[in-house]
Amino acid sequence: MMLRAEGVRMFYGDFCALDGVTLAINAGEFVSIIGPNGAGKSTLINVLTGALRPSVGTVRFKERDISGIGPARLARRGMARSFQLVQVFPDLTVVETLQAAVVSRLGRGTRVFALLERDSEVREGALEVAELFGLADKAHTPAKQLPQGDKKLLDVASAFALYPEIILLDEPTSGVSTRDKHAVMEILVSASKRLGIKSIIQVEHDMDIVFGYSGRIVALHQGKVLADGPPEEIKANEDVVNTVVGRKAGAFERGA
Amino acid sequence: MGLVATVMAVLPLLAPAYHVLLMLPFMAYAVILLGLNLLFGYSGLVSFGHALFIGIGAYTGAVLTTHLGVRSLELILLASAALGALVATPVAALCVRYVKIYFGMLTLAFGMVFYTFLLKFYRLTGGDEGMQVLRPTLLGQDLGGIPKTDYLVGPYYYYSLAVLVLAGLVMWRIVHSPFGLCLRTIRDNPTKAEALGISIVRYRWLAFVISAVYAAVGGALLGPPTGNVDPTLAYWTHSGNIVFMTLLGGFANFFGPVLGAFVFIFLQDTVMSVVPYWRLIFGAILAAVVIFAPAGLMGLVARRRPAEVAHT
Amino acid sequence: MTANLVNILLGGIFHAAILFLVAAGLQVVFGVQRIFNLACGSFYALGAYVGVTAVRAFTGAGGPPALFILPLVFGGLLVGLVGVVVERGLLQFVYDSDEAFQLLLTFALVLMLEDVIRMTWGTAPYSTSGLYLVYGQVTLLGARVPVYNLIVIGASLAIAVGIGWLLTRTAFGRIMRATADNREMAEALGVDMRWVYAKVFTLGTALGTLGGALVIPTTAAMSEMGIELIVEAFAVVVIGGLGSMRGAFVGALVVGVFRAFAIAVYPELEMLLIYLIVIAVLVLRPRGLFGGAAV
Repeated sequence: MMLRAEGVRMFYGDFCALDGVTLAINAGEFVSIIGPNGAGKSTLINVLTGALRPSVGTVRFKERDISGIGPARLARRGMARSFQLVQVFPDLTVVETLQAAVVSRLGRGTRVFALLERDSEVREGALEVAELFGLADKAHTPAKQLPQGDKKLLDVASAFALYPEIILLDEPTSGVSTRDKHAVMEILVSASKRLGIKSIIQVEHDMDIVFGYSGRIVALHQGKVLADGPPEEIKANEDVVNTVVGRKAGAFERGA
Repeated sequence: MGLVATVMAVLPLLAPAYHVLLMLPFMAYAVILLGLNLLFGYSGLVSFGHALFIGIGAYTGAVLTTHLGVRSLELILLASAALGALVATPVAALCVRYVKIYFGMLTLAFGMVFYTFLLKFYRLTGGDEGMQVLRPTLLGQDLGGIPKTDYLVGPYYYYSLAVLVLAGLVMWRIVHSPFGLCLRTIRDNPTKAEALGISIVRYRWLAFVISAVYAAVGGALLGPPTGNVDPTLAYWTHSGNIVFMTLLGGFANFFGPVLGAFVFIFLQDTVMSVVPYWRLIFGAILAAVVIFAPAGLMGLVARRRPAEVAHT
Repeated sequence: MTANLVNILLGGIFHAAILFLVAAGLQVVFGVQRIFNLACGSFYALGAYVGVTAVRAFTGAGGPPALFILPLVFGGLLVGLVGVVVERGLLQFVYDSDEAFQLLLTFALVLMLEDVIRMTWGTAPYSTSGLYLVYGQVTLLGARVPVYNLIVIGASLAIAVGIGWLLTRTAFGRIMRATADNREMAEALGVDMRWVYAKVFTLGTALGTLGGALVIPTTAAMSEMGIELIVEAFAVVVIGGLGSMRGAFVGALVVGVFRAFAIAVYPELEMLLIYLIVIAVLVLRPRGLFGGAAV
């Protein structure tokens, strides 16, 4: 059991964003978290990634308490995330962004006098990830000049470059055209295998993607876990279908 | 860069002594600004108290030469660097937890604490009259015999130049190191940097301490030419001026600060020879830079040569 | 002994009264526009110089000395209109810039105003001499206090009350508080930001210039007064809390009285102690006594 949230409640003043969420993610799982807007997905992500300290309850990663430890320390412990609203370094090139991640992974950030361009391990590590994500041909493009889809890939790729054990992707295909979504997901899946990432958690709205790739789905509604299980079970769950999935019966017939 | 270095090396032989003398504070400020740029340009922190470290460096030179009989400029520079680092360690630890305006305010307060100390404890520091700095020995050579101008325009000039070049080379490596890359990530997008495991506080602290060492070394170089150091070196407006110089030249660009120091010093001298109201003109220049050209002079140059802007 | 204490205390309160005005100007601008105006001290200096000029012109033209306070206040307030020029002509161009640049622009103002003052009035101290004693002195608990000082303290209190009234009872005050709280929302609700900003900045400037004018009779206008006062004003707003009026009031009292006692007891320490308090406040309770926003 790698990531475990127990009895997590999150209050913003009087408003209860998460109401008793208990969740356990194991190695080897691909979990999708779904739910309508306002269900508490963002809050849950922030709690799971140590950005928010839960009002009640605990969240542990590899048996160690991570409530509110902050993203930097969590990343160093082996869990990385990408963002719903793309987060990149506008003035850094693709390769520089990936190098930063590799530098962080290798713990070389305090090497003050070493020349980066002579560090072959960092350079090769960055290029490898760039190739896995199909960004190698844009290696020297500053991130702000990338098309939106590539920015998204870069955000995700740099998180992958940390070789995390668990990665949390916040809407990895949002902003990506429908035609490209599957391509992106294929890249993500093969990259995780190549880089040895043990588990993937994603927040997704696109049910095609959710049912097409997840081994397990967690449905959130009004701060509570409505259902938690394999896709067939979720599909059959009336409550979930009504509140979260919507009556697009045709959609998941095609996608699964 | 090689061209500039050559020009500077040959200058004392060609130019009138007056201008060569003006190069001395320029070189000192260039060293200071190389360091400040690490804090301002590469880490995005505006300090209004950086003059604190200039003061530390300057007064170290004064105390060593007049009270402790140490005249070796090498020792003075080393001591200044060490003291700068020593003071910066706790100050930085405190300040880097805050950002933007609170960082500016905290640094301003620290700077003013030191200024007030220098001003009020006159028995120790000489108060508003400051302290003398006796002519230091260069590489063990006591050049007390030669006239002051010859000393400054000759050996001292080349010594300062060597220090500046050395400081520049070291800073070049720092900026192009893994550390430098991490700083740039923090400047560009702190949220993403943290998500990549880069601890903002830790790196900013390191940048602060390094820039403090540079400021102290530059401050130590400021002493000998005038032979006197005074508390105004640590005053908050002095801190403001060096930030101004960095902005003028173009922050986040490696050579920007050096250019800024050069323009500031020579422009100030030119203006002052005509009318004493350099602040009015400089204030207007600063306003213009902030409004129209925030990337400074180097930024203006870059706009005309977009292909070469790749990265600094 | 009591006389001495009362003397110090009243001196401190007088200084606090002036400090409050300048700090209030700072707070108003920071609270609504989120800009820390380093030039508030310079406006203070400007008010001082203009105040002296106004009084001298008045008495020179035959005005009765007892009424000197009128041209003083009038001059002080009038020069506050410089705020409009500064806001429309300079500040408005950096509203969307990084905080660092805004700060640097106000620093540019500091530089420019310093020389403007120098150009207009020279560098020698400039005063109205003992004119303020025309109101005589009173004895309070054994200490002799100029009535003028009491007038200023009273005026400052009145202004404090006035600002409080402005913020809580008037429509403009509500707009100010709304903008301070949430600028985008206020804009979305139809508030014309340009107008608000211009008025707020001018108010802030005028408070500063008024403070400078009022202090003048008791001291001389000197070229460094601006850059020296900003650090005190800055201490006030840090201790009181950025953006808070109550903070400006309490902070001014703390700094003013503390400084008065420090000077009396151990002159070397004076501002040193205050800066240390500022550092302590920034580290232990960054939002000060009454400040709101998180660091």
